[in-house]
Amino acid sequence: MMDTNAALADWLDKGGRRIGQIVIAKKNDGWELRHADDAAREDLHLFTKSADARPLANLDDAGAYRALKTAPNLRHGWRLVLPDVASVRSALDAFYPAMIGVQLARERGELVPVNLRDTLARQTGMYRVTQRLTDAEAQVLIARSCCSDGGCLKTILWRISPELPVNSLPAEKFTARGGDEWPLLCHEACNILVAAARKVVKGDTKEG
Amino acid sequence: MFSKPDSTLVIVGHGSTLNPDSSGPTWEHADAIAQSGAFGEVHCAFWKEEPSLRQVLHCVTKREVYVVPNFISEGYFTQTVIPRELGLDGPQTNVAGRTVKYCAPVGSHARMTDLLLKRAAAVAPGVPPKETSLFIVGHGTGLNDNSAVAAKREVERIRALGIFGEVIAAYMEEDPLIAKWDELSTQPNVVVVPFFIADGLHSYEDIPVLLGIADSSPGAASANAAGVFAQNPYRLRGRMLFYANSIGTEAGFAEVILDQVAAFDAAAA
Ligand code: SF4
Repeated sequence: MMDTNAALADWLDKGGRRIGQIVIAKKNDGWELRHADDAAREDLHLFTKSADARPLANLDDAGAYRALKTAPNLRHGWRLVLPDVASVRSALDAFYPAMIGVQLARERGELVPVNLRDTLARQTGMYRVTQRLTDAEAQVLIARSCCSDGGCLKTILWRISPELPVNSLPAEKFTARGGDEWPLLCHEACNILVAAARKVVKGDTKEG
Repeated sequence: MFSKPDSTLVIVGHGSTLNPDSSGPTWEHADAIAQSGAFGEVHCAFWKEEPSLRQVLHCVTKREVYVVPNFISEGYFTQTVIPRELGLDGPQTNVAGRTVKYCAPVGSHARMTDLLLKRAAAVAPGVPPKETSLFIVGHGTGLNDNSAVAAKREVERIRALGIFGEVIAAYMEEDPLIAKWDELSTQPNVVVVPFFIADGLHSYEDIPVLLGIADSSPGAASANAAGVFAQNPYRLRGRMLFYANSIGTEAGFAEVILDQVAAFDAAAA
């Protein structure tokens, strides 16, 4: 199996510079990560350890917890300077958990998308009721929870069922990024979506 | 020293969509093990956070994978959710070319007793154990009712050592209720250790309110989360009360995770 750090080094060598909301720049003393919105800012708080990434990733600008790390609400105001690819990799694993590994699995041809109906069919306990989610409810729910504008930045690789694609989001939502941008991939609905499906089925209208 | 450079360790936690405290200790134990170099690589996976159980095996680069649930007891998560999500069908499963070895949860290891004793001693230094009632507090209801069994088991082990004046299992939501700690205990000193995997709402807010050491208005205790531990001891209801962090924040958990891997190997040998 390919070494993950080597794969990331290879991508950076070829000009890879962006993942999610983060831009990566080559510096004399290594690599610098910052929020893409902060590209021109001079007043950023400097961090120098890959271990700083997890606390940075945990809270948004308002200090609220970010349960979904691919939500488009990465906090601003920091830059993280790291000496080598190994520390860039561990920082990215904190900012965008599993996203390096999932893309490499896709490159190896090992990533098998799982349709929403299969994910729901597997649920037990309190989430078993999600099997009663209708196709129409699923479309609305996915449009609300997964939309890149406010929901989640991942590219969706699954369908609702073999016959039914998600048609409630624009086509870009299903096309993985490439080139200098590392793709964020959703190969299977996350637990947050499953939990939201439970609320829909239960008729709970509260957000969350 | 423990050395498995060609294996991956995956520590599985529950995680939370509400706060980062739930997964915090799992990450800390993983960081400690990664730094020790005991495994070729170390990952965490969570039910409610990322990396998810459905993602984590894609991040693994070794062919041999040990999975240790960072859970207090065997139960719904360790017996149903984790195996289902990882695609396991027994103690050892081949998943997409990887050998996945599924270890017992941290909380069921015999060394948990030592960690509870250590935590109790640390929270009440210099307090004579013979004049102390030690409470081990579990949740005690709902899906994970095995946590009550686990708390009782630990209480019996500690009681058998004869160190403390008395040792009592109590719960948040079933009898014996921790809210009645003063009626349940007889010693002048009372030490309360939450038998949970992480600090969070239960240890910051719910249990302090039940003990009577925090204001019951919603959020009041959480706003001062760490403060509840800093104010030990509490002089309350004619006793000296010492309240500890959840046992899962104990650094020794990292070693118990490795112990569960060793136990898996010993059982398979
Ligand atoms: S299901 Fe996938 S795309 Fe939708 S919110 Fe969850 S991770 Fe993002």
